[in-house]
Amino acid sequence: MQHDDTIWAVINNNFCSYKLKTVTQNFCRNDYNVTGLCNRQSCPLANSRYATIREVDGVSYLYMKTVERAHTPAKLWERVKLSKNYTTALEQIDAELQFWPGHLKHRCKQRLTKITQYLLRMRKLKLKTNQTKLVPISKKIDRRELRREAKAEAAARLDKAIAAELVERLKAGSYDDVILNARESVWKKVLESDKVEVEEDQSESEDDEAEEYIEDEDEDEEMAEREMVEMSDFESDMEDLMDDDSDDDGASDDGRDEDESDEESDDSDDDDDEGEEEPVRPPSKKRAAPAPSKKAASKKRRGGKGGRGHVEVEYEHVGPARAMETSW
Amino acid sequence: MSAAARPVVNVYGEKEVVASLPLPAVFKAPIRPDIVRAVYTNVAKNKRQAYAVSVKAGHQTSAESWGTGRAVARIPRVGGGGTHRSGQAAFGNMCRGGRMFAPTKVWRRWHVRTNVNQKRFAVASALAASAVPSLVLARGHRIERIAEVPLVIADDAESLVKTKAAVTLLRAIKAYDDVKKVVASKKLRAGKGKLRNRRHTQRRGPLVVYGNDNGIVRAFRNIPGVELANVRHLNLLQLAPGGHLGRFCIWTQSAFAALDSVYADKSNYELPQHIVNVADLHRLINSDEIQSVLKAAGQAKTKRPFTQKKNPLKNAGIMKRLNPYAKVTKAQGAKAGKKAAPKKHVGASAAFVAELKSL
Repeated sequence: MQHDDTIWAVINNNFCSYKLKTVTQNFCRNDYNVTGLCNRQSCPLANSRYATIREVDGVSYLYMKTVERAHTPAKLWERVKLSKNYTTALEQIDAELQFWPGHLKHRCKQRLTKITQYLLRMRKLKLKTNQTKLVPISKKIDRRELRREAKAEAAARLDKAIAAELVERLKAGSYDDVILNARESVWKKVLESDKVEVEEDQSESEDDEAEEYIEDEDEDEEMAEREMVEMSDFESDMEDLMDDDSDDDGASDDGRDEDESDEESDDSDDDDDEGEEEPVRPPSKKRAAPAPSKKAASKKRRGGKGGRGHVEVEYEHVGPARAMETSW
Repeated sequence: MSAAARPVVNVYGEKEVVASLPLPAVFKAPIRPDIVRAVYTNVAKNKRQAYAVSVKAGHQTSAESWGTGRAVARIPRVGGGGTHRSGQAAFGNMCRGGRMFAPTKVWRRWHVRTNVNQKRFAVASALAASAVPSLVLARGHRIERIAEVPLVIADDAESLVKTKAAVTLLRAIKAYDDVKKVVASKKLRAGKGKLRNRRHTQRRGPLVVYGNDNGIVRAFRNIPGVELANVRHLNLLQLAPGGHLGRFCIWTQSAFAALDSVYADKSNYELPQHIVNVADLHRLINSDEIQSVLKAAGQAKTKRPFTQKKNPLKNAGIMKRLNPYAKVTKAQGAKAGKKAAPKKHVGASAAFVAELKSL
């Protein structure tokens, strides 16, 4: 009460951060203003005794402030929850603001009416139309995010992560019952080398791993492939001639795949492995581990179609052969 | 509200109220935005640096006017030849490459002196305004959640050393919203100031006033928006930035307690008095002292007595209202008139009527 007029003089004539000036009118951006206009009667700052209605999530509250609490901003506003019933709410306002100046009561009721009306309208609208939410396209943001996505993908180096994860799983033994066609020695070598030597240069190794899975699942196809390759692969014939290795299986990638499968299934039980690995005799040449590749490759063929454990390892000139193949 | 009845202000410790102090008298000083603005504009000029154009600018030519007769304007022109510059106009403020109109001089009066009393008045006013939450809110500070205005904190704050601890303290007293506002407001300055080492602008945060610096300055100074001030040297440029009253001030207990003595120690100085002690017009009018000597109130809406004009010469009542004596005058005139003017006989003469009857 003491300061009201001074406050208003300062606010109105000097500066108020809530005042919004337009050509015709002044508005007040203060949350607690009843009318939304900037004038002496409606200013929540310049009236020590003030009341408003505010609506939060469909519930209306009556806020009141008095002189006694004017110096404690945290506890300034006293809040009363109003009933959702309009008439009851009006009566509540009357009861709370019983001895308050009439114009404030009136303004509060007007505001409550407005609020009730728009809430009603909102509810009706929801029922009426299918509320398709329009989402704007923000080109700038989309472009930016796209670029970031690409960068993140590159930075994540998923292939390495996947390889590491796979080896982890191997080590953990989750593939014990799945992979059965591995050689124990190869297996152990992989396990001992703590990291997965995935070399960027030799991209085939990744292909091998991928291919290996395919092969593990679809043995038949592998067989078919092999056969076809045998027949049509002239290179392999050439190699045969060159290396004096009567190797009809020129598909070195198959051999390599088998190597991988060898390595992987090493983890499985020795019993199983031994049983199935018996037919596999020739030393396998590994792509991943820098084991000396042996030129001599036996003609050992996979015995039957069904055996998952059957691995044929046929290698020749791994390097040049591969190079020739890729240069097709 | 007399100055003698001073309210008590709570001192806030970490979690609860630690002590309470009476409100210093300064906070009851008159709030005079006009004085504050005038003093502010003066005091703000005192930190200026001189600027001027070069003395020689525009005069480093030996140009002479060609005079008349050459079909050119009479402005001095650069002599000589062999270059574009020869024959071009020089020296005038309208000429390209000429000196400007009224070249700025360094001996412009940059600094303005203000009376000490006025300066003190302004500071007192600004302090008083900082104790009014409405004015602090209007100025734009986010103080909706603080416990009390003026906000006084315990003296342990003065021995803070780490900024991290300072920030925790601000958060605890709910003053950090103001700092957040400052951080959010940092923008590039509009205009050439960007290139002149004034690149960014941001809002002002709270002003922390301390009694003794045991590390508080260093703890708080790196927080964006926060400024420090010793009680004994309060700066109007900090208390009312931009000439606008109501800076959010955080006081330490010793600073708050020292305020009274700071003003008492000023020799020959009394805090400014209010011209009108009770500024609230409503309260004045409705007070007992005044109401008791007032007349009884009339009707809220007085009825208009007569809205239709009636002719007094025809309407006796209206005539009476206008001139109550008219009745008397009329009566006298009637009496006099009766004797003077016998009633005229209207109609035919007696002889004729007799003759008619005899027929």
